[in-house]
Amino acid sequence: MNQMLTKRKKLKLESDSGWGYAFIAVALIAFSLFTAYPVINAFIISLQEYRPLGSTYVGLENFVNSFSDELFWKALKNTLVYTLLTVPFNILLSFLVAILIMPFKKRTQTIFKAVYYLPAVASGVSLAVVWLWIFDPLKSGIANQVVGFFGISNQNWLGSSATAMFSLVLMSWLSSHGTAIIIYLAALLSIDNSYYEAADIDGATFLQKLRFIVIPFLKPTTLFLLVTGAIGSFQVFQNAYLMTGGGPDHATTMVGLLIFNNAFTYFEFGEAAAQSLLLAAVIALISFVQFKILGKDIEY
Amino acid sequence: MKKRNGSKLLLSAIMMMSLLSACGGKANNTADSSNSGNTGSSGAGKDTITALLPPVSANYQARFADMEKEFNALHPNLTLKIEPASWEDMTQKLDTQVNAGSPPDIAWIGASGLSKYAALDVLIDLNPVLSDEIKADYDEVPMKYFQLGDAQYGLPAYMEIHTIGGNKQFLEEAGIDWKSVQQNGWTYDEFRKAIAKGVVKNDKGETSRYGFVFATSGVTSKDYLAILAKTAGLPDYFDNDLKYTYTSKKFLGLLTAIREMIDDGSMPKELSSIDAGKRWNMFLTGQTMITGKGLSAFENSARLNNEKIKANDGSAVADSIEVDYISLPVPTFNGADYIPTSIVDGYIALRGKKEPSEEHIKNIALAMNFLSSGSIAANYSNELFLTPITESARKAEVLEKFPRNEDNVAAGQAMMAKALPARTDIPTEQAAEALKIETEVIIPKLQALLADEITPQEMYDAVKAAAVKSFGEDGVVAD
Repeated sequence: MNQMLTKRKKLKLESDSGWGYAFIAVALIAFSLFTAYPVINAFIISLQEYRPLGSTYVGLENFVNSFSDELFWKALKNTLVYTLLTVPFNILLSFLVAILIMPFKKRTQTIFKAVYYLPAVASGVSLAVVWLWIFDPLKSGIANQVVGFFGISNQNWLGSSATAMFSLVLMSWLSSHGTAIIIYLAALLSIDNSYYEAADIDGATFLQKLRFIVIPFLKPTTLFLLVTGAIGSFQVFQNAYLMTGGGPDHATTMVGLLIFNNAFTYFEFGEAAAQSLLLAAVIALISFVQFKILGKDIEY
Repeated sequence: MKKRNGSKLLLSAIMMMSLLSACGGKANNTADSSNSGNTGSSGAGKDTITALLPPVSANYQARFADMEKEFNALHPNLTLKIEPASWEDMTQKLDTQVNAGSPPDIAWIGASGLSKYAALDVLIDLNPVLSDEIKADYDEVPMKYFQLGDAQYGLPAYMEIHTIGGNKQFLEEAGIDWKSVQQNGWTYDEFRKAIAKGVVKNDKGETSRYGFVFATSGVTSKDYLAILAKTAGLPDYFDNDLKYTYTSKKFLGLLTAIREMIDDGSMPKELSSIDAGKRWNMFLTGQTMITGKGLSAFENSARLNNEKIKANDGSAVADSIEVDYISLPVPTFNGADYIPTSIVDGYIALRGKKEPSEEHIKNIALAMNFLSSGSIAANYSNELFLTPITESARKAEVLEKFPRNEDNVAAGQAMMAKALPARTDIPTEQAAEALKIETEVIIPKLQALLADEITPQEMYDAVKAAAVKSFGEDGVVAD
């Protein structure tokens, strides 16, 4: 009897796992076609001088060319500077906004979340157009009117090396927190109230609660946002492409833009693929370092 | 139980089928938009010629269905299938199809992009299939723009001269004899003095009107430099001995002039951030006397805006004033002759992974000639205020009549008469190297020069160093 039951259970399991695999297969095929295949193909192309009607194998030449290209290093440096200036500040700002929103009632919280999330819903191109208008170089520009109020003369925001990178950074600071705020709010709400009650009994101040309860509990969330933020920031392309074109004098040329130019301006797909893989390696390295430094005492 | 398993199976099958059909659909679409001639064409039935075309003029794309029908009526064994593309995604769409090895048979490009596609070896030489009669229909100068070496890779659709445009009232207020300039041209010194007279300041000493505003934001800086270089004794990146020319002292002279016009206050100090839309807006709102770059069609744009202002139409450009658009030649620098920058756009013939049959290439040539001559060319040229470049188009009737400024028409003809044919002798690799210097050194350095971050000498030195690195000391002009 027992044997029969075990057999039936086993059969049922096998049947269930079979269905599981069938359903996973759909995602697996999609992943293979649209993620794994392009990555493998990019690697193959990176070893070729790509031509649509017949490529030639060139070994590691594209990687060597990238390493010896001054512009590649400059683009990498620009991207790193952009990441360092945007990611930590954006996380800090999102955290502060989340802390400020949290005490409100659910309905008010939702209104704030919706408002902050709105730019994430809007098309990046539309946002860039709005920011181009804000950074209008003449007196009519909003940014110039604001600085003019403080007695500062007209700034050539996107056209000057002194301000172009800052302008892109400012745009990132002021327009992309919705997702991080929602994630932080969810994490804040998941902290058990008993910790705050115990802290209240011990007479802890707001800052002490923040330091000893909130920040440690939010560490996994912060790490997640840091890693995904750095990945996104290293892949920045759209704003540089639409707003500065990488100028002036390559002051805002990011690696993503360089890859795009190599692929679609010069048709150097081999070099573009090599640079994409190098960028992926840099991102992987930075993510690894972040996990090593910040992820030691995190339990998931 | 059986029923539940059956429904699971059905659901899985539907999901798998939908995924496969989605992939299959994509494959079908690709094949559909691909070079139909790759599979050969003759004999088996109708040959289909595909074309990827942008909105050349306001009503060009609206006439596609009629064009397809008319072509089919002329050649019952052929089908012309036109795929519309916007200006914004035309190049990207074409490049994606080219790189996938399945381009359309015919695509619209600017002639300056010819070497890019030649380097990829995807162009078809039409010389063997173009009849003498067809060739004779086209003007010689624009025809050459679609040649490389002896190969004729396409046919020109129109030729346009890049000019600058003036506000008639402001020009006259500044005492500029614009009619004389239209016919005789002007030197940089004359131009510099003229644009200085066009500057107007308000009570606070701030400039309310500039003498000259050219769009130079981002890649449009390339236009600015290239157009001025033509009249500065640097008509091409290479001289007749195939030596790189931007290392000449004439280039330094031009860069010095570019900086001077800003330092004089005749151009805005924020020039490096002014894009094409902004500078046209500045022209229509009276914030500048002369605007660049000028195209014939802008005369019509200004006229239409004037009509809206008169009719109190809310869609007129905000704060705009009535403007009589005057077409003017670009000034000459370094004592050089006037050589206008010609912009020649047209159609190229492309092949995909499989070699097209000779019959199909012949059909492509027929379709391309159909698109770039006769009544089709007459109508888009008319809409763009251009003189047609084929005899058949000049003789063809047009659908609409537009009022033109006769002085502008005469000036256009005078400038067009000085247009030089394109260089067809520059090797593709050399042209590609020059393009790389242009994108990686010239444009970024010019942006810095316009933003007053480097001097003309520093820019000249940077370009010279890059050119020597690419072409060697002997491969560049030294004067």
